Amino acid sequence: MADTPLVNLTIEGRPVSVPAGTSILEAAKTVGVLIPHYCYHPGLPVAGVCRMCLVDVEKAPKLAPACATAVAEGQVVHVHDEKAREARKGVLEMLLINHPLDCPICDQAGECELQDYTYQEGRADSRYREPKRFNPVEDFGGDVMYVPNRCILCTRCVRFMEDVAHDAVLNVSERGDRALIGKFEGKDLTHAWAGNVVDLCPVGALLSKDFLNKARSWELDRTASVCTGCSQGCNIIVETRDNTVVRLRPRSNAAVNEFFMCDHGRLNYRWMNRGDRLESPSILGAAGQQVVDWDVALAGAARVLKGKRILVLASSNLSNEAMFVLSRIAKASGGAGASRMVTGVEAPLPGVEDLALRADRTANGRGAELLGFTRSDAPLSGLAQGDAVIVADHDITPDDAALLAKASAVVLVSTVMPAGLPRADVVLPICNYLEEEGTLTNLRGHVQRFLQARAAPGMARPSWFVLADLANALGERMDVLTAGQVFALLASSHPDFAGLSHEALGLRGRPVAGATAGATS
Amino acid sequence: MAIGVKVVERPIEETSYVRATLSGMGNTLRHLVRPHKVTTQYPEEREPLSRRWRGTHRMLTTEDGKAKCVACGLCPTVCPANCIKLVPGEDEQGNRYPLVFEIDEFRCIFCGYCQEVCPEEAIHVGRHYENSEYSRDGFVYDLERLTAQTHPVCEMWDPADPRGE
Repeated sequence: MADTPLVNLTIEGRPVSVPAGTSILEAAKTVGVLIPHYCYHPGLPVAGVCRMCLVDVEKAPKLAPACATAVAEGQVVHVHDEKAREARKGVLEMLLINHPLDCPICDQAGECELQDYTYQEGRADSRYREPKRFNPVEDFGGDVMYVPNRCILCTRCVRFMEDVAHDAVLNVSERGDRALIGKFEGKDLTHAWAGNVVDLCPVGALLSKDFLNKARSWELDRTASVCTGCSQGCNIIVETRDNTVVRLRPRSNAAVNEFFMCDHGRLNYRWMNRGDRLESPSILGAAGQQVVDWDVALAGAARVLKGKRILVLASSNLSNEAMFVLSRIAKASGGAGASRMVTGVEAPLPGVEDLALRADRTANGRGAELLGFTRSDAPLSGLAQGDAVIVADHDITPDDAALLAKASAVVLVSTVMPAGLPRADVVLPICNYLEEEGTLTNLRGHVQRFLQARAAPGMARPSWFVLADLANALGERMDVLTAGQVFALLASSHPDFAGLSHEALGLRGRPVAGATAGATS
Repeated sequence: MAIGVKVVERPIEETSYVRATLSGMGNTLRHLVRPHKVTTQYPEEREPLSRRWRGTHRMLTTEDGKAKCVACGLCPTVCPANCIKLVPGEDEQGNRYPLVFEIDEFRCIFCGYCQEVCPEEAIHVGRHYENSEYSRDGFVYDLERLTAQTHPVCEMWDPADPRGE
């Protein structure tokens, strides 16, 4: 892009310089002018079918669609003059002719572009007196439901399936005012990335069956986060209502996931709302697990761990911060850290470079490897008689349980009680990743922050906080009060993370030194 | 030590009580003959309420007895007292309906915004003022209670003159 000549033009009285070939719509965005549009989406090919982005270009014979018109030297563009507004008003009136106006029962209400633009510049009433066309609701397979009456035929969904997912399932069936989105014979929206058509749909025509009637968009609290469904680390927005996660949506990040996320990640949120969480620290006594307060539990954990070789069995979904403190504890005792591989079927999104639902289904596998954890199918194989084990939010298979019998002490640092864990001398409850702050490293070495989205249950504390306390109790000094300070310690002691900090990462993330090399995909 | 109070001599017609007493007695006699009643004999007699009276709520129903509410969520959003609890659900036909719809009448400030905002003309404030319960919980009206109310509902505006012109 660097050698493309710049073009100077004026949009709404503001001078703009953009590379030649940019559309007027994109150029307007750079100076903070939003040109209303439906069919245009930066992640899809331009179609120019909705006619909503018509703008008035001086000396042009007629209004030009801003999404499909390239900028030209000296152009003067008016977005909000009488002529353009009148044209858009007409477009909106036509779009609303067959629209049922069932906003009270439509899931899109509150985040609907048709609603927004109609309020902004549409007509207050309709002049259409004839009965509206009606088509029944259709199940598109997968997680997607189609309500044809609400559809404005922007064809974003058709273009996504054809040009990005490379799996043409949708088409525009019928002609004229009978036109609607249809499926090709015998096809269903079962592509691993098909759920994106719900986000792409500017109105309430394509809906998620999972989210249907669950909440209104204006009641949701939104938090920037990172998906933990696989090692791709797609940027997401976590939407919660009354401390319960109801929906995950993609957040755009050109370096990782463009605008999309896969259905696996999208629907992988129920565990975040689990009710059977560990809520208080406890110690194994004569009368079984005894609930104690934090100081007693940490002192108890230090007592059973002290002087032994510590083997850490840590889930590779834990944050870099928690992994780092665990690796310090293990290293100080002469032990090691291990984690089990979790794999699945790889499902790429062909239209976007290097984007896939990865076979490695752990969120921080790369981070774990960088911090010295070994990842294998039998993570406890290095356990020797008399070793102590810290189980950090890791699941326990029958094989693990048999090996754990050799351990002299087991400290469980976990969000839930793993099924099959034979015993735990001390239990320390931690927050899951939505209840704390931290960072994850994706398979290409991109370190990304996630923010706290919900409140922790009971006495559970952030994982890095509990582990730092445990390290202190074991005599490994760590003066940390925030996740950012833990990350600063990590950055200063690991050359891969040198120069990074929570502030530097921001919400787009930064690659570790030597990223992309040695990635396991 | 005299402080020099000045005593004004007034004519006897002004200072006599006889005249005022007779006038008061006359008033009493007039009310005996032609009484002007102020007390309403509640509960046998009731004053008519304004058509715009805003009292405890009522949920209107469709012909088949179901609440008209589609759980759009506008009333809990607009409610300034935060007294409406709504959990949306879906019935067998795939229609939206309220799984839980509760109004805490103690919290309610009877502003009538819920009725004004309702796109389905389902929730209404009522022309009604007699409420009593044995416990505070009784004033959290659930959907069943709201649909069972029979009192007339508030007319926010005159249908013949909606803009109040």
